[in-house]
Amino acid sequence: MNLHIRPILSALLRNRTGAILVAMQVAIALAVLVNALYIVTQRIEKMGRPTGMDVENILIVQSAGFTAHYDLKSSIQQDLAWLRSLAGVLAATPTNAIPLSGGGSSQGLTIVPGDRTKNDSFGYYEVDEQGLDALGLHLVAGRNFRHEEVEPPITLDDAGRFVGNVILSRAAAKELFADQNPLGKPVYDTLGKQATVIGIVDPAMNSWVDSEHADWVFYMPRLTSALYGGVRYIVRTRPGERDAVIRLAEAHLATSNPDRVIHFVRPMTYFKDLSYLGDRSMGIYLLTVTGLMIAVTCLGIFALATFNVATRTKQIGTRRAVGARRADVVRYFLVENGMITSAGVLAGCALALATGYYLSLEYALPRLNLYFLVGGVLVLWATGQLAAWQPARRAAAVPPSVATRTV
Amino acid sequence: MLGYYLRLALRSFARTPGITVLMVLAIALGIAVCVMTLTVFHAMSGNPIWWKSDRLYAVTMDNWDPSAPFDKKQPDLPPPLMTYKDAKYVAASGVPLRKVIMYPVDATLSGTGAAPLRISTRATTGDFFAMFDAPFLYGGGWSAAAEDPPQPSIVLSRETNDKLFGGSNSVGRTLRWNDHEFRVVGVLDYWFPRPRFFDLIGGSFQPPDDAYVPFAWGPALSLQSAGNTDCWKPETINNQQDFLASDCVWVETWMELPDVATRERMQTLLDNYWAEQHRAGRFPRPRNNRLTDVGQWLRDLHVVDNDNRVLVGLAFAFLAVCLINTVGLLLAKFLNAAAVTGVRRALGASRRQIFTQHLVEVAILAVLGAALGCLLAALGLAAVHHMYAAAHLGQRGGYQELTHFDTVGVAWAIVLALVATLAAGLYPAWRVGRTPPAVYLKSQ
Repeated sequence: MNLHIRPILSALLRNRTGAILVAMQVAIALAVLVNALYIVTQRIEKMGRPTGMDVENILIVQSAGFTAHYDLKSSIQQDLAWLRSLAGVLAATPTNAIPLSGGGSSQGLTIVPGDRTKNDSFGYYEVDEQGLDALGLHLVAGRNFRHEEVEPPITLDDAGRFVGNVILSRAAAKELFADQNPLGKPVYDTLGKQATVIGIVDPAMNSWVDSEHADWVFYMPRLTSALYGGVRYIVRTRPGERDAVIRLAEAHLATSNPDRVIHFVRPMTYFKDLSYLGDRSMGIYLLTVTGLMIAVTCLGIFALATFNVATRTKQIGTRRAVGARRADVVRYFLVENGMITSAGVLAGCALALATGYYLSLEYALPRLNLYFLVGGVLVLWATGQLAAWQPARRAAAVPPSVATRTV
Repeated sequence: MLGYYLRLALRSFARTPGITVLMVLAIALGIAVCVMTLTVFHAMSGNPIWWKSDRLYAVTMDNWDPSAPFDKKQPDLPPPLMTYKDAKYVAASGVPLRKVIMYPVDATLSGTGAAPLRISTRATTGDFFAMFDAPFLYGGGWSAAAEDPPQPSIVLSRETNDKLFGGSNSVGRTLRWNDHEFRVVGVLDYWFPRPRFFDLIGGSFQPPDDAYVPFAWGPALSLQSAGNTDCWKPETINNQQDFLASDCVWVETWMELPDVATRERMQTLLDNYWAEQHRAGRFPRPRNNRLTDVGQWLRDLHVVDNDNRVLVGLAFAFLAVCLINTVGLLLAKFLNAAAVTGVRRALGASRRQIFTQHLVEVAILAVLGAALGCLLAALGLAAVHHMYAAAHLGQRGGYQELTHFDTVGVAWAIVLALVATLAAGLYPAWRVGRTPPAVYLKSQ
């Protein structure tokens, strides 16, 4: 098939301003499309990481004792007994922090006491024997905490106490023990106090979704203290019953104990959504603006093709009169548009790579994946041809008789 | 003449309504996206205390781990907070005009008849209000004499006073703060510095605290920080005394140093204290004592995050595409009507007049684009605000505080529209004026 590139090119070069403008739009659109999609993909991957927790069916209660009559242990027992008695509740645990919320505690763990060569910090949660169930975590090795193992809360006078047993996330176990079997092995806190690893959960996440090691986490069998902003309960319900339990808990807990105040009762999704809000809005914004940019670019291609057809009506008629078929006319305009788009795409590749390189350098984003570039080129080329399709068809509809008319 | 050009422009729009709408839409979209991004960026990068930002300094000292910096990504910076003992030492100095040590704590307010209220309280020294220009609605702060031992004085935010006392002047009233009786000494007016420069931990755009009490109440009642507490040293911490003496950082320290001489004296004081402690075995890292002004502090703590810089770049790329598109459309449109222009030139219109005439047409498009752009930006920001507010369940704070379409947005729209007109209109208007009239006077 002969595309007649030479004559089309020379016609194009005679009237190049419009073509250059369209090629520039294509170039910028490609650079933005490729980089935006790459960033969005990374955010989607980040938001889609498995948390290991039954986030949708969990609610969080945050409370704080504030009078001299407040007794931490009996208050927790009372609240837990009531929460666990509710029909829709599967499990409930007191805890020191809310996973995925951005707030919590972390501490160093080592497998050699007093090892200061590593500064790894692991998010931790104080839970009781229902802790893993309340979070919906999956035990992949070892065993859960037993009721009698749950230790009393730390107080101001023994705040440095450690626990006897811990359960690690698989990622934490891998960081500490590499490929050894961690079960039954000791881990040490920064002061060299020892605990035994009795179980492994996987997957799991700590409180900080933006941290490099959001899956480094461990669980301690201990009643939480009220030292850090009060007592939190993690309550897991049967699917679909979360909101009903939230309403019940709000109504009952507000008045059940005059010595403590309920700060809030909220679904766990609130905390997860808030932690990922920046990523989500960035994704939405990038996609919207990129979509608009492609639309505007298509509009530019469409307008240029329409203009070219309109100003060349007479020439088209002449070509048709001397024997060109409709298909030849359509092909002429599509090839012309293809050349313009190709020029834009070529410049766009360079621009996309430069932008990607700049972003990776300036904002420490990962370097652009080349598959995205190939995909972006195909998308822009295809939409470019689509945008020129209607004007090209209109050109083909010009009757040969136009050639014989004056004005 | 202008009236005539306007009539010509309107006639031209009427001839090609589709292309006119497309051009206005392209300009409007470009402007709207830019205005939205710039509004957020502007709000984010603002300095809410610019009038004295070069007198206010955050004090930091690097007491961190000899084997690793506090922040691996910024190894040159000390921790943003100080240890209790260091903060107390530097705050005892008479060098600065004003000084503040503080940390946020969770507390419960009761004893007012209303249901107990869980609030955030700032345990702070009394210079806080004058130093950060916090406006009082009723009463005032407390004097240095109320610090040690701490007096039961409390300052409420206006929002808290509205909730507890229905907005009336509550100075002199008593309430229970963490079950201790406190007397209200002052009520602040609405105050929401964005970003919350004096405490950026836990969100740069969170509202200020609900109440303020003398600093010493925090340690006296063993209240842990509701912000960050970071420790690096393996130390046995078994009680409050151990904790206060530890190398854990949790106290934010600010000073008002009115001139260079005072600042230098303060720096010397810090360095001398460091040397003395260093000899005694503390401060194992190289000397790094800093007095950081507000502007630098906002940069060091990355108030403007990378995402927003990327979005500003994206917005301008989009505007560029919209403008290039408009140039193309204008060019096509003007050249399509070149026959008419040719007749006007032949009848005596100068190139300059043709140029002006077409520029008037472009200016109208720009005005329409700017107006529509403002509208779209306002709608877009409202949508974004709604999305953020929904995620916050109606609580204040976060990026929703940055999404208000305001005069800054309008100003940006006008500036961008001007730029757009010039950028998009100049070349087509010039080009059409250069068309030789003779070509169009011939019949084909």
